[in-house]
Amino acid sequence: MTLIVRSETPSTHRTVVWLEGRLDAANYTALDEALRDITPLVDNGGTLVVDLSALEYISSAGLRSLAQLRKSMHDRDARTLLLNPQPQVKKVFEIVKAVPIAEVFATVAELDQYLDHMQRQVSGTG
Amino acid sequence: MRLRIPNRLEDVFLALDRAEGTLDRAEVDPSCRADVRLVLEELLVNTVRHGYPDGREGSIEILLRVETDVVHLELRDDAVPFDPLQYETPELPGDIARREIGGLGLHLARSIASDFHYARDADGNRVVIRFDPSDEPAT
Repeated sequence: MTLIVRSETPSTHRTVVWLEGRLDAANYTALDEALRDITPLVDNGGTLVVDLSALEYISSAGLRSLAQLRKSMHDRDARTLLLNPQPQVKKVFEIVKAVPIAEVFATVAELDQYLDHMQRQVSGTG
Repeated sequence: MRLRIPNRLEDVFLALDRAEGTLDRAEVDPSCRADVRLVLEELLVNTVRHGYPDGREGSIEILLRVETDVVHLELRDDAVPFDPLQYETPELPGDIARREIGGLGLHLARSIASDFHYARDADGNRVVIRFDPSDEPAT
């Protein structure tokens, strides 16, 4: 089993990246390369959703890639949200306190609700 | 399982797959299998990357033994002396993107193992680790 990366940009505000399989020291460079093409698609102020539903395993090498992704998105004023981490990934996130808990969502509905809320705050209609 | 591999990354990943196969056949539960894989990956990758700074060929031995309620792992290598337990725990203030992340893998390995010992003898480094699958919270 290796790593599969897919992405889709349903709107200029949002890009979704799906990770499937294992993200480890053997393949994190493949993710870094894929992300180099994907991140420029996200607008300033936009959102990159990393869907982790099908990611079974992550090691510190994978954490580094996700950390760099978050940093590069942050630098271009975009946010990175993580969706539905599975037990092993969740456990690793918790041990290293890898990401602020507010940016990890269990479901798409929760994530949409959060983004709607942020949008309302920005437009002052909330 | 008893396996001796050269100090190359591709051999590390072959060894990880072998170890996982051994645990699978012994019907070790998936979360403990993933724990063993993670600890093995972090320690072996660290040894391959940093253990042989002079570029020489090295040898790493992996012993994996499954008992009823416990998995024993032993790693021996002829790398430079390195005690993973002495490595400083990285600071973990919440957001990985805003800090240096060196030492993360060793921190993970130490946190996940139920018991972790290091010794250095004439043959090299020796790490002995125990995993208790029953420690796992039910998911």
